Amino acid sequence: MKIILFKPFEKYSEKTLLLVGIIITLIGSFVAYTFNTRFDGVVDVHSVTDVLLYQALLDNLINIFCLILFLFISAKYINKKTRLIDILTTSMVARTPIYLLPFFNINGAISKAGENILQFANEGFTNQISSSDLSIIIVFGFITILFSVWYISLLFNGFKVASNAKGKFPIILFIISLILSEVLSKIIIFQLN
Amino acid sequence: MIKKLPINCPSCEKSLVVSQLSCSSCETVISGNYSLPILLQLSSEDQDFIFEFILSSGSLKKIATKMGKSYPTVRNKLDDIIERINHLQKI
Repeated sequence: MKIILFKPFEKYSEKTLLLVGIIITLIGSFVAYTFNTRFDGVVDVHSVTDVLLYQALLDNLINIFCLILFLFISAKYINKKTRLIDILTTSMVARTPIYLLPFFNINGAISKAGENILQFANEGFTNQISSSDLSIIIVFGFITILFSVWYISLLFNGFKVASNAKGKFPIILFIISLILSEVLSKIIIFQLN
Repeated sequence: MIKKLPINCPSCEKSLVVSQLSCSSCETVISGNYSLPILLQLSSEDQDFIFEFILSSGSLKKIATKMGKSYPTVRNKLDDIIERINHLQKI
């Protein structure tokens, strides 16, 4: 179970991972469309009023492309034997936890709670914020952190297996790649909207 | 039970050398000071991997399928063994 959740790249062949990655990306795009969510950055999940199916799919494709671009450059620098397919499957499969997050926003409960809190906070009536809204946001915040950690650890494990990374230097390269991926994906998605 | 060949001194952890060989048939004993071949200086896990590598005609894909591991995991294992062999050759 631990291998499936955190280290699938050590066990499964690239064909299996590629197939799973494609299915997950399509499901993730459909989830974003169904729950009115935009994955508008490599590490971004935002609730919106409306999203088209092609936008949801395009967001995910841009995010995957940006991850591949920077992770592959870093992985090649660490180990020249790194294969593109391993970084591709890593970038697709590792995003699974992010695609699960919109499921927690059933009937827009989290968006509504967030809006209510912001409304009271902006008007200066912080003592009128309901405890139920606050609880929803705290619990969702905690879940988001957990799922983000899961996402990043999957991404790093895939990167590590693909490049045979050892020591501290690859960790620094991984963090830089992730930040650059986030910046580039935000710019591309912003430009296309 | 298969006896594991010790390759490091249990006292100081330095590499062991062969100081005696004997014939199990005629009981001839040869004494000397022979260093262990590099392959025998690797861990039994590494030796098993090399054994599998040869039996698979050097196909990492075949070993990956046999071991139930991904291709990069197996390739990384081979790279690590190569690194250890290079290190042993320098000693």
